[in-house]
Amino acid sequence: MSKQSNNPSTLTGIVLNIQRYCSHDGPGIRTTVFLKGCSLRCKWCSNPESIRPKPELAYDPKLCTGKKECGECLKSPFPEGAFYVVDGDDDKIRVNWDLATDCDEKTVSLCPTDALYMFGKELTVEGVIDEVAKDESFYRNTGGGMTISGGECLLQPDFSAALLEEAHNNGINTAIETACNVPWVFVEKVLPHVDTMLHDHKLTIPERHKKWTGADNKRILENFKKAYETFPNIQFIARTPLIPGVNDDEEHIRAVLAFIRPHKNVIEYELLPYHRFGTGKYEFLGKIYELSDFTTPSDESVQRFQDIIDEAFDRSNKEKEDIL
Amino acid sequence: MNTKTRRIAINVGAGFVPGMNTVVVGAALAAGELGWEIVGIRDGFDGLLHPGDHPDAGLVLLDRQLVENLDPAARGVLGQSPRVDPFHVRQVNEDNLVEEVDMSDRLLERLKEEKIDALISVVSGRGLSIMYKLHRKGINMVCIPRSIENDIAATMVSFGFNSALSFTIEMLDRVSQGVMSARRIGVVEVLGGQSGWLALQAGVAVVADAILIPEIPCDLHTVAANLKEKMSISRPYGLVVVAEGAQLIEKEKVEQDESSPGSLKDSLSPLARGDSGEHIIQRSGQAAETVAKRLQLLLPEETYPMVLGPWVRGGPPTAIDRQLGLLYGAGAVEALNAGENGVMVAFAPPDIKFVPMAEAINKVRTVPAESEFIQIARALNISLGGAL
Repeated sequence: MSKQSNNPSTLTGIVLNIQRYCSHDGPGIRTTVFLKGCSLRCKWCSNPESIRPKPELAYDPKLCTGKKECGECLKSPFPEGAFYVVDGDDDKIRVNWDLATDCDEKTVSLCPTDALYMFGKELTVEGVIDEVAKDESFYRNTGGGMTISGGECLLQPDFSAALLEEAHNNGINTAIETACNVPWVFVEKVLPHVDTMLHDHKLTIPERHKKWTGADNKRILENFKKAYETFPNIQFIARTPLIPGVNDDEEHIRAVLAFIRPHKNVIEYELLPYHRFGTGKYEFLGKIYELSDFTTPSDESVQRFQDIIDEAFDRSNKEKEDIL
Repeated sequence: MNTKTRRIAINVGAGFVPGMNTVVVGAALAAGELGWEIVGIRDGFDGLLHPGDHPDAGLVLLDRQLVENLDPAARGVLGQSPRVDPFHVRQVNEDNLVEEVDMSDRLLERLKEEKIDALISVVSGRGLSIMYKLHRKGINMVCIPRSIENDIAATMVSFGFNSALSFTIEMLDRVSQGVMSARRIGVVEVLGGQSGWLALQAGVAVVADAILIPEIPCDLHTVAANLKEKMSISRPYGLVVVAEGAQLIEKEKVEQDESSPGSLKDSLSPLARGDSGEHIIQRSGQAAETVAKRLQLLLPEETYPMVLGPWVRGGPPTAIDRQLGLLYGAGAVEALNAGENGVMVAFAPPDIKFVPMAEAINKVRTVPAESEFIQIARALNISLGGAL
């Protein structure tokens, strides 16, 4: 994915978004760089725009003024049949997502209201770091820094490694968020430049992992173990997106704890209760959210699992209060 | 006759409809009469793209001996795939990475390798767009429309609709007897996200009390008033047929959050809906439940939601679909023989026509205001909840 270059700062990657002032993506106040491309297809995914590796078309119908007032996308150079209106009075532009796949940034820029736009853009390491460096004072004051997330940031190993190295060169703390479903060579290229690695333990049983995410977790667990052992100075934070009916069971929580506790550099296990914040984005991509009937887990069940985690980490009530 | 077209293939898009074998038989017998060889591609395009995963290297030779023994009511001889989109073939690669791969070029190569020079594809509305894209890449293509909801434009009747309609009517009859004995109002949801043909025709056939279809935004107060008028001590029951895409007006709008398929239908392409099953879990039942709940608040009688939904996709084909299947299959071969390419076979009783695929995509065959069935419904005092 990343374009090779002799000068690491001019290396490019496909970046989805650079989000400032993040407080849940590692220690302190952070800037999170979301990369495009993912190697899993989690049914609860709240960032569907990050899945495909290349920039892709999005459409916000609320910004569209319709055929009578505009109708630009119904003409060349937009692909034939990609946009249309139905017969009758309905003036609203619709997207045929099967025929609109050839739209690129140049075509989309012809939409005068920005109803059409692209998710994802090619950026250089230098360009990203310039943006990230704007908040250096926040990082210093809060112990924060830059986090690379996704998608799966390890799918762009050269770009991610260069970005993290450049952050270190600028004195910026680094973190990545990963599910680690990539070849080990990708992992070992990136981790030397990482201070904190937040990593997902989604499901324990390989078959169930495959059912809900598209791939089993054998390689993922191998990578985690190897990472814990090969990089003792990295702080690892295990996480589980808690999805009701999928993995919100004691068996999974205890299995994760059994996996991580022997490794002292895994300093925390966090639960991420399921939310539906990303569901609106499915609409912009012409996709349907699969878990529309799922609800968020109850506070009681989250607390029950948190108690199990606290117990495993030998935390006293005082320590728990400090964490909170 | 186009003498170059000597070896052709047929495949079936995603989504099951009863009696698919009849289309295969129609195409195979007609091709045989012309001295052509016809093969069936197993599981959409999978038999061609992954021949090692299938018996007979993914292609079924549809000779006379095989097709004469095909049971029209049996499972389709070509099998099916939940996704039939060679532009986005999901796979887990050797590195365990999940990815969607564009295999359209590989498909063209495979067709060439197998010396297949034309393809007949039995597809839904979304499948038409994908086949149109393949046609633009250079595949000689004739499509056959199949739809449970009869929502494909440019043809009067899609293959599979009549079987679904007959079974829906049978089930509504059963529900009628049930609600009669239980003294309730049955609210039955049937397929029809954009187009209300199935709900309308089935509802009229069983003389339902109300029929709610996507084309007529519905005021449930009107429906409730109509039900009140009809129900009495001697008739303490009612039957409401609701298409899954029914629209409730103003304050009665179906409560759907932004992630639900309903709101997608409001703003995006009707063809964006994944009838391939790619993105669907638990989407059915919402319309019946919402309408039943709302009517419950407006009426003293108890309402009861039921969902026929995908039940009607299975079972044996009706006599009409058996004939239509043969007609469509043979019609597709006739189109190829006439040198047609990039067309859909359309049924315009009593004839078949070949219409450019571009005329059928990006359109939905909806119920027009002047439809005979709308007029019949009104004549029978069936509430439609509003006016077109």
